[in-house]
Amino acid sequence: MKKIAPQRCRIAGNKPLDRAGRYFRLTIEGFHSPRKIDPGQFVHVKTGDGYDPYFRRAFSIAGFDASSGRMELIHKVVGRGTNLLARKAKGETLDLIGPLGNRFILPGKSVTTIIVAGGVGLPPLAFLARRLVDKGYDPEQVFFFYGSRSRDDLIDMARIRRLRVRFIPCTDDGSYGRKGFVTQAVNDHLARLDGNRLFIYGCGPEPMLAALQNLALDKRLKGELSLEAPMPCGVGVCLGCVKPSLADPGRYVRVCYDGPVFKIGEVQL
Amino acid sequence: MKPSLQIEIAGITFKNPVMVASGTFGYGEEFESLIDLDALGGIVTKSITLKERAGHPPPRTCETAAGMLNAIGLANVGVERFIDEKLPFLRKLDTRILVNVAGSSVSEYVEVCRRLDKAGGFDLIELNISCPNVDEGGLEFGTDPAAVIGVLRAVRGVCRRPIVAKLSPNVTSIVAIARAAQEGGAAAVSLINTLVGMAIDSESWTPRLSNITGGLSGPAIKPVAVAMVYKVARAVDLPIIGIGGIATWADAVEFHLAGAIGLQVGTANFVDPDTTMSIIEGLTRYLSTRKLASLHDLIGKVRVNHGRSQ
Repeated sequence: MKKIAPQRCRIAGNKPLDRAGRYFRLTIEGFHSPRKIDPGQFVHVKTGDGYDPYFRRAFSIAGFDASSGRMELIHKVVGRGTNLLARKAKGETLDLIGPLGNRFILPGKSVTTIIVAGGVGLPPLAFLARRLVDKGYDPEQVFFFYGSRSRDDLIDMARIRRLRVRFIPCTDDGSYGRKGFVTQAVNDHLARLDGNRLFIYGCGPEPMLAALQNLALDKRLKGELSLEAPMPCGVGVCLGCVKPSLADPGRYVRVCYDGPVFKIGEVQL
Repeated sequence: MKPSLQIEIAGITFKNPVMVASGTFGYGEEFESLIDLDALGGIVTKSITLKERAGHPPPRTCETAAGMLNAIGLANVGVERFIDEKLPFLRKLDTRILVNVAGSSVSEYVEVCRRLDKAGGFDLIELNISCPNVDEGGLEFGTDPAAVIGVLRAVRGVCRRPIVAKLSPNVTSIVAIARAAQEGGAAAVSLINTLVGMAIDSESWTPRLSNITGGLSGPAIKPVAVAMVYKVARAVDLPIIGIGGIATWADAVEFHLAGAIGLQVGTANFVDPDTTMSIIEGLTRYLSTRKLASLHDLIGKVRVNHGRSQ
C-alpha cells in the first residue's frame, strides 16, 4: 500500500473569510492522496520552515476534490503557527501529510442528521454536510446548527445555505440568528423530532461538546463528536494528545489515532 | 561502489546505524503506513513495564523553542500484552528490534526482562534507567553508579540478550554512569535521554504539563547530546548509540564524529515521519562523495585540534 508521506503542494489561495482577517480559507492544489479522503480526517501542516515553531499543526479537511487534488482547509489565527499560515500567499507551497485520523460514519438514508458546529469546529462538518447531500441524503432531513460568540465569528454561511439543508445559525450575544448557546437550540429542536431516527454530529469547543454529549446521553441519542487537541505527531505514537476514556475508565484515547472522531459516550469531556 | 552503512553492536549486525528512539515510534505498527520499516537499522519500542500503565493525565506535551517537553508517564500496555499483541508484528520485520524496559524496582526490571527473554523475537534490551517523568525508579537508577551496576547485573542474570543501558543527562558526570554501566555488564550505552525542563503559562501562571516538569527533547538538546557522546566515547570502551535532536544526515555525521556507532532519531519522527529515510540516504551520499568506504571512517574521527593534522 502506498505510504502516507509529506508532500509539498502549491497554494491556490488563502483568503480571509471575515472582515477582521482572523479566519482564512486555504486552498491547495495537486494533493496526491494515497487514500480515499472522507469528512472527519485531517492533515498535518508545516506552518514554517526550520525548527521554530517545530511541530506541524493539525487541520480538519474542509473539502477535497479527488480528480483535481484540490483541498480546502479553514484556519483561524490563534497562535504563532496559524499566524505564519495566515501569511502564506497564492503560489507559495505548503508541506503537509495526510489524510490522517478516522472519519465520520454515515447513518442510513432515512435517518435525520443533526449537525452541530461551534466556532472553528465548522470545517469538518461543512465537508460532512456536503458529502451527505452529494450522497443523496434528503437536505430537508439534515439540520445544521452553527453557533458562535457573535456575528463576526460566523463564517462561510453562504456555502452551507447553498446545500439547502435546514440551517440554524446561533450567536451567544444574539447579534445573528438565534440568541444563546447552540446546544440550547439543539435541545429545543430535539423535542420535536423522533429520537429513534436521529444521528448527531458535533465539532467545536470542548465545553460545547461536553454539553452536547450530555444532552445526547440523556436522551439516548447516537452520534459522533470530532475532537481537537495539540498534536505533536498526529500519527498515534507520542501519546501527547490523549483524553480520558469514558467507555474504558482509567485509560486514555489518542485524539489523532483513535479519533479525531469518537462515538458519543466514548470520551470523557 | 555503494558505501556500507553496516555496523555491529554486541556482535549483532545492523544494516545501518539509524534507529528510532523509544517513545517516538509506538510499537512500530503505527508507522507501517508511513515508511518502509525494513529500511531502518533498528526499532526501539516504547518503554515496557511489568503492568500496563495509563500514563499521566493531559497535558502531557508542550512545544518549546526547537523542541518539546513531555511527561507521558511511561504509558504502555505492560509486558504480557506487549508479548501477545505487539511483538508478533515486530518480529516479522527485517530490522533489529530493541525492547526498551523500564521499572520502579530492580525486581520489576528483572521480571520484565525475564519474561521478554523467554518470549524471544527481539535482538537487544534497552534498559531505561533514565526516565525523568515517574515518581519512583527510572532516573533514580540512572543517577547512582552503584544502582546502575546493581540493576544491570540483576537483569543480565535472567536475560541472554545483550543489554544497552540508556543514560540520563541529568547527572553530574555521565562518564561515571557510563563506567558503571560497563562494570555492570552493559553491551552498549545509548545517550542521551531527555533533559529535565519546565514551562509555565504566563496567562494562567500554571505549569504547561500536568506532571509540572518534563523531559526536553528535539534539536534544542543536540549540542548537549553531542558533548556527552564525545566525553563518554573518550572514557569508556563500549559501543555508543547517540540520541538527542537528530533530524538531518548532517546531525548524524556529527554524532558519528563524536564517537557514536549507532543513532536514534526521536522527536524528529513527529515532524517528518520519513526523517530516518532521509538520514539513511544522506549518510550514503555523504560517504560516497567523500569516497569513504564505511561509517567506521567517520566514527570518533572528530579533529579536536581544529583541522590541523594530528
